[in-house]
Parts: sequence; C-alpha cells; structure tokens
Amino acid sequence: MPQTEKAPTDNSSRARILERIRAGLRTVIPEPPAMASEPVILKPVFFERIIFEPISNPLERFQQECVSNLMECALTADSAASARQLSEVLQSLPAGEIFVQDDPSLRRLIEMTTEITTELAAPRRAIRWSSQGAPAEASQATVTLAEALIAQTGSILVTASCGGRGASVVAPCHIVYATTGQLVPDLTTALSRVSQERILDRNSFACVISGSSRTADIEKILVQGAHGPRRLVVILESGG
Amino acid sequence: MSTAAQRFLQDAAVKSADLMHREIIRRGMDSYDAAHLKGRARIRDWEAARQKCQEIKREAINHLDRYLLQFEEKVIARGGHVFWAADSEEACAYVKNLATQLGVRTVVKSKSMVTEEIHLSPVLEKAGIKVWETDLGEFIVQLREEPPYHIVTPAMHLNRGQIAKLFREKLDSGITSDDPADLMAVARRKLREAFFAAEMGISGANFLVADAGVIAISTNEGNGRLCTSVPRIHVVVTGIEKVIPRLEDLAVLWPVLATSGTGQGITTYGTLIGGPRRPGEADGPDEFHVVLVDNGRSQLLADAEQREVLHCIRCGACLNICPVFRHVGGHTYGTTYPGPIGSVLTPHLNGIAEFKHLSYASSLCGACTSVCPVKIDLHHHLLQNRRNATAAGATKSSERMMFRAWRSAMLHPWMYALGGWSVRKALRILYRLGLAGSIVDPMRVWNRYRSPVPLPSESFRARWRKDRAAN
Repeated sequence: MPQTEKAPTDNSSRARILERIRAGLRTVIPEPPAMASEPVILKPVFFERIIFEPISNPLERFQQECVSNLMECALTADSAASARQLSEVLQSLPAGEIFVQDDPSLRRLIEMTTEITTELAAPRRAIRWSSQGAPAEASQATVTLAEALIAQTGSILVTASCGGRGASVVAPCHIVYATTGQLVPDLTTALSRVSQERILDRNSFACVISGSSRTADIEKILVQGAHGPRRLVVILESGG
Repeated sequence: MSTAAQRFLQDAAVKSADLMHREIIRRGMDSYDAAHLKGRARIRDWEAARQKCQEIKREAINHLDRYLLQFEEKVIARGGHVFWAADSEEACAYVKNLATQLGVRTVVKSKSMVTEEIHLSPVLEKAGIKVWETDLGEFIVQLREEPPYHIVTPAMHLNRGQIAKLFREKLDSGITSDDPADLMAVARRKLREAFFAAEMGISGANFLVADAGVIAISTNEGNGRLCTSVPRIHVVVTGIEKVIPRLEDLAVLWPVLATSGTGQGITTYGTLIGGPRRPGEADGPDEFHVVLVDNGRSQLLADAEQREVLHCIRCGACLNICPVFRHVGGHTYGTTYPGPIGSVLTPHLNGIAEFKHLSYASSLCGACTSVCPVKIDLHHHLLQNRRNATAAGATKSSERMMFRAWRSAMLHPWMYALGGWSVRKALRILYRLGLAGSIVDPMRVWNRYRSPVPLPSESFRARWRKDRAAN
C-alpha cells in the first residue's frame, strides 16, 4: 500500500502548521480572574461544586434512564431466565438470520435459547458468529456482550471485542446480554476504566450507546429507528 | 458596500418577512427551547459544567501543539495516517488523491461542518466520485442542492410537506405519506444501498482525544457509525482545534454538548475510533486517515482577545437563541458557520473586509454568550470585530465623514443645537408630505417597515432649561 510510506514524506505543511501554532501560542493571554476561584472537579470528593448528582442506586438509575432513552431493559434472575427472555425477543422478530458475538457465554445462552425454541416447535434461526466476519446487511438482530453499563446515562459501553463495529448498528434490533456486576455509576468511572485498562489500545473502536438510533431532523419530531437499530434490548442478569 | 454585505441585507429583508419561514423556525426553536431547559435541569450545577468545559478547552488550545502531536503519535502507532492540511486546497487534494489511488467510486459522508467549510464534496464529484450525505438533514439539503441551514439541524427550515415533495421529485414518485417516520424510512432504504456500496466513509470528529489517541463522534441516527464501520477506508476531516487532553474530559463534554445541541442528556452514539480494524476484529475499515485542517485557525491563537473562539464545540446553542438568527435564518449569513459564532469566526477565516457586516448582525444583547457551553464571550468579540474592521480602514468615506461631523457637533454645543433644530424641522416637513420611509427620508432604514417615531416638539436642551426654571 503506497500510503504507509506517505505519512512522513507527503506532510509538507506539518512543520509549517506546527510553527504557526507555536508562534501564535507565544502571545501571552492573562489568566481571567474567574479562574482564580475554586476549580471544578468531576467527582464529588473534596470540593463543593458537583456537576452531576451523585448516583446512590446504580441499578435503579440505569433502569430509569433506559426508559427515557427508549430502550428495553429486562432484569433476569439467572441464565435460564435470560435464555427465555432472549427467545421471546427473537420470536417477536421477522424470520431471518441473526448475528451473535462469538463468546463462550453467548454460545451457552444461544444453546439454551435453541432448546426453548425446539420445545415450542418454533422455527430455528440461522446464526452467524462474529468469528465468521461482519454481520450481514439483512440480519434481523445482533446479540452481543457489553464492556460495561453506565447508570448515569443509561448507556452500554461496547468495543470492537463485542462482535465488531457493525454488531451494534447494522441490524434493526440489538440485544445486549449483561450482568448487574457490569454496572458502573457514571461516565467518569466508565471512561477512567477505559483509560486504565488500556481498552483502546486493544480495540480500534469503542462506543457509548444510549438508546436506539433516532433522528429529529424533520420538524424536530423524534423518529425512532434511523440508520441503526429501532430496538435496543438489554437482558440484565443478576450477579456477575 | 461589498457584495456579501448587500446580499445579506437583501436576504435578511426577504426572510424576515417570510411568514412561512418564521412559523417553521418558531416551532423548531420552541421545541428546542423546551428540550434544552429540561436537559439543563438534569445537570445539578450547569454553571460548574460550563466552567469545567471552558477549562478543558482552554488547556487544550493553550497547548495545542503538544496535544496534537500526542494524538498523532498514537494514531500512527496503530497503523493510521495523519495528514496536516494548511488550507482547503491541501485538505481536498489529499482526500481526492487518496480516493482516486484506491479506486473509490462511492463515498458515504456523515455530518461534518469542516467538509462544508473546505467544500470537499464538489471536489470529489468533479473527480467522478459519487458522494452521499447520510445524515437525514444533510441528505435533504444535498438533494435540494443547498448548504446546511443550521450546523446541528441542517434542514430545520423545511416542513414535512416540503420534504415529502422533494423526496417524490428526487427519489420515488410513489411516496404518499409526509409522516416524518415514513420519510426517514425512505431515506434509510436509499442510503442503505449507499453504505454497502461505498468504498470510503468520510466523517468529521467532535473531539480528538490526545491521551487516548482517538477521535470522538457524536451521532443520533447511527449514520456516523455505518460510515465508519462498513466501507474499507475511513477518512476523518476535522479542525485542529477539536483536540482535548484526556478521555475522561468526555464525561462532562459529552453531556454538555448533547444538552446544548439538542437537549438530550447524552447523544445516542458516542463513538471512539483510534485506527483501522485490528487483526482479529470482525469488521472495520482497513485504512484510517485523519486530515487535520488548519485553514486560518492557527492565526487566531495569536489574537489575545479572541483565541477562545477556538474553544467552540459547534453545539449550535448560540444560533438557536439569537434573535437575529431566528428572524433572518441560516442561509442569509452566506457563510459555512451562521449565527453568532459564524459572525465572529468568518471574518477570521475568510477576511474582515468582506465579512465585517456580520459583526453588525447582532443587537449585542449577549444571549449567545449566556448560553455558550464553553463560555465564549461572543457578543464582545462581535464588538471587537467592529473595532478591528474600523481600525483596518474597512469603512466607507461617507461613514468617516459622518463621524467627523458628529465629533465637531459634540465639541461645539451651538453646532449640535443647530443640527438638532434643522433635522427636527426637516423631518417634520418630510413626514407631513407623507415621505416617511421614502428614498429621500434620512431615517429610511427605520421608517421603511415601521411608522415613524413621533418627533419631539422641542429640543432636550429646551426642556431641560424649562424644567430647571420650574423647580
């Protein structure tokens, strides 16, 4: 590929831009007086100014935020209940292939779901695993894990490890299998963990997803299901 | 008067009298206002949030070179490419050459104001490449062959009926419904084909995170997700000022951007991308290029008063609250960035002589400054731009003469009294003749669309003397 060699050689303006930036920054700007007052911090530790309300009950908050984000959250007691939940969601969808992140826990869940489907004599679905590549454009649903759940904003954090990039956006329904142990209180905690665990060095992609895809570009009227999923379902199992 | 200024005045006069336009904008802004206030109430200390965002952006801009280099190093280490473009031509040429070399025939774009600023799409289309805007609003204005009306909601000047008609004409004559959900479905079907046919996806970036070496994109529709997941090449075109120091900064910037932009607590997709698909990943582009556009931004760093204009996160809050924007609309500005931030920024990017009139497209009421989530002192910058334009000699000789006359009058009370007397007399005769607002009326600018302000029977000085004598 010719571009690999290009970055250092073809960048004739790089030095010029950096020089202009440095020259500009030599202009000293007096500190505005407002800065002298107490600094604002994100975490309610010592200082008085707290930007976001501290979260006392992450699970409750997560469920509330799911409602306002127009996503579905089903709390389950164990993996059998999760499998029943998944089977219900899948039965509500039109016929067609589903895409599943290739992970041992999801293989087990799908196996249990298939048993339920067989008992019900419902038609079996073709499954494409993430180890076989990207989800097909016509996939009816994608089933993945999440890296974390964020209570503050009712969000799920996914990375490329969760079945890839398309796994959370290509199909009309995205189903996330998570445990309550994955809940973190807020965005700050989630992002600190991404930094500390060097998650972005191991993944080319991460995404904080807060609800189904939507638009309000026409008359500011909310339409659910734009280019991405119309439904985002979190199957939230106790424990983990 | 420059042509841009003339066009502005003409378009402003037409738009502010266009009742349908007013109705559409009023309704759009009303629903934004309600959502915005509700969103702000969700944040316990909004002022602290603004201050935090201001501090983050100030730190980033004051060490711009360091943070850009940190970002670049990380991206290159992951196999990505970083190109530094001094101006529009360099940026467009890089993307065009890349596309031609790699045999790209179709490009899908997610919303990016920087690509509008550098006019990238026409360059690609001239090279025979089909470009699809995939954000619904951008797609609509692309079909209408017009620029975005607003930096966040590009098609907010159109109602559903107009959009349905457009789709019937350009996409499918069989469309009968004008329901927004049905119109979205039409666009979705059309653009799905484009997403899966395109070899290249072009996106912007809301933030460049220095310590993690990733770009951050906020989208609701998911088009930005598809643009950066499906095609085999991903090109990011963004401004150098988008950099922020730390990943954790997004914990406040994301909610504040969403609240100020649309009133949401957080945007649906906060995407972080640091490079091409890694070995073992299920999908993602094989190539990842970041084009860092300067295009006049580095000059602003040397401006001690206005460096903070580079803090802007392009949320659109100042447009939404601006009484001038609400009346004249986005297209009247004739610039990539409309509204208060555009009026401040455009003279820096495109020349003060041609765009000084924008500094006067403001009542200096300060509403923009009061809502800016990074606390840019917008209305004072408009005032500074007026001063700078005058100092640079970009004023008309007639204006300079008027001010000289004014100066003498202020220094010589008899001259002031005489002037006041003769103007009162002259206007009284003029108004009596029914010539108020006509071409000979010196108060024409005001009187054209309004009934004249009643003239006082005597001068202020006469009244003052009388009142003092009475007491």
